[in-house]
Amino acid sequence: MLALQLLVNGLVTGSALGLVAISFSLIYSTTKIFHVAHAGVYTMAGYVAWSLASRGAPDIVTLAVTVAASMAMGAFIQHQLYARLERRRATPLVVLIASLGALAVMQNVIAAIYSPNILQFPVPWGSKMVVLGGVRLTWTQILTVIASLAAYGATIWFFHRTILGKQIRAVASNPFLAEITRLYPQRVYVIVVAIGSAIVALPGILVPLDLGLQPYSGVTPLLTATIAMIAGGIGSITGSFVIAIGIAVLQNLSLLVIPGEWSIGITFFIFVIFMLFRPTGLFAAAR
Amino acid sequence: MDFLFSYIALAEVYVLLGLSTNLLVGIAGIFSVSQAAVFGVGAYIVAQCLMTETMGFVPAMLVASLACIALNVLVTLPSLRVSGDYFVVTSFGIQLLATAVFINWTQGTGGANGLPGIPPPDLFGFALESNLHLVMLTTVAVALGCLAFRLIMRAPFGRLLRAIREDELAVAAAGKGVLQAKVSAAALAGAFAGSAGGLYATFLSFIDPVSFDLDASILLLTMVVVGGARTLAGSIIGPFLLLALPQVLTFIDIPTTIAASARQLIYGVLLIAFMLFRPQGLAGEKL
Repeated sequence: MLALQLLVNGLVTGSALGLVAISFSLIYSTTKIFHVAHAGVYTMAGYVAWSLASRGAPDIVTLAVTVAASMAMGAFIQHQLYARLERRRATPLVVLIASLGALAVMQNVIAAIYSPNILQFPVPWGSKMVVLGGVRLTWTQILTVIASLAAYGATIWFFHRTILGKQIRAVASNPFLAEITRLYPQRVYVIVVAIGSAIVALPGILVPLDLGLQPYSGVTPLLTATIAMIAGGIGSITGSFVIAIGIAVLQNLSLLVIPGEWSIGITFFIFVIFMLFRPTGLFAAAR
Repeated sequence: MDFLFSYIALAEVYVLLGLSTNLLVGIAGIFSVSQAAVFGVGAYIVAQCLMTETMGFVPAMLVASLACIALNVLVTLPSLRVSGDYFVVTSFGIQLLATAVFINWTQGTGGANGLPGIPPPDLFGFALESNLHLVMLTTVAVALGCLAFRLIMRAPFGRLLRAIREDELAVAAAGKGVLQAKVSAAALAGAFAGSAGGLYATFLSFIDPVSFDLDASILLLTMVVVGGARTLAGSIIGPFLLLALPQVLTFIDIPTTIAASARQLIYGVLLIAFMLFRPQGLAGEKL
């Protein structure tokens, strides 16, 4: 019974993590920037939502404003930081250091404003329990799964069925050729980072609804998400989503044998295995 | 006078770490946020060796350096074989994993409370207890470190590393082992960081996980970025300047609750500002 509960918990955390992985994968496969500051956008989304919710804003307004704030932040980082560095022909190392700097700034501004302690969402319905076939779930957890699956489906649809989605994929596969066809890579990059930031706002709100908010808690999910992206195959949306769920399920099931504080070890072990035996990932596109 | 001595000794420990980070990030061009983890491993090994009285200070330092070399080789070999971005993930993973070990492995590391009462270093049966003696010890160590750094920079190996940073493909085409050179650079960086850890543990006689977390790694990166990449002067200026910063901050009246976040915030701002406006740091070469 415990195993079943853990399996379900894994599926819930995994679907939220899957969204982080999808959003990071979109940004990374298009801009080729290892956007570490994404963890800061994820954390910021939770705090924006908390500020609105604790002032009594309606849930739908909270969601809309949070997503908009995340998009603006992501676009700002791409436009004001990465694009500037790109114009100066900065090496990937320099961009990475700047991104790490942006992460440090965001986390510590949040910590200075809201204190580094855990904050709980003032949402009474969130922690109400439902028992389904012997498995206990909160409404937040059910909402997390539904929202994640919907966002995953919407992302797939967007990238394969809309013009903008196809343009983004064109820039991702070859920015030079795309430029010839009158697409502006730098403009597309801003759009992609904004979309990725909008997607990451969802887990950014939903995960803290369940577990509470902390300013420095974004790095571990981002690391797990990047591992899911690599193991799933860079550029594969489905790959990163599925592997993220797989990692979260394994982490939760491992609680049966190993205490929870070592779960980062499990994640990292999976990464090392992939790195040694299949560095291109499971769902990698044929080259 | 005592305060000045301890500032100098601490800054000199960080100069050794700055040399280590500079070797890895500045010269070899490998982005790493796990330098503090390696530093911590060195510190805990020396602390345990001295506290259990299994060996003296000099052999303990040797053991710590060897362990850190082994750690860095194990970490870089599989990931650099694939690509630089895989090493970014690896170094984040190692840093988080090391923090988990430092906090949770209470038997070996004392957990979150740390290890108090580490005995002072002894050289050939002569215990170095006063601050003056300790400053002399760290100064000798830093002098040796600087000499080694300078020799490496001028040796064919140093030129090979700089060539790899400039154009990896050209170096590989010239028949040089790129992976081998990068792993050797990481091994050297490990030796520097490990011995710095040993000096740090014996100098403070108390260590806890906070000194070796992700924030500490970011601080080390900031030191190299502010000082400047690939020069001795840069590796020395960075630590001395940034360790003076907390003292300067005490003159400005900020509440103690946000002092830590304010400090990290400044490091983040420095990282971004230097990458945007002065990638060569105060006294270095272009990153």
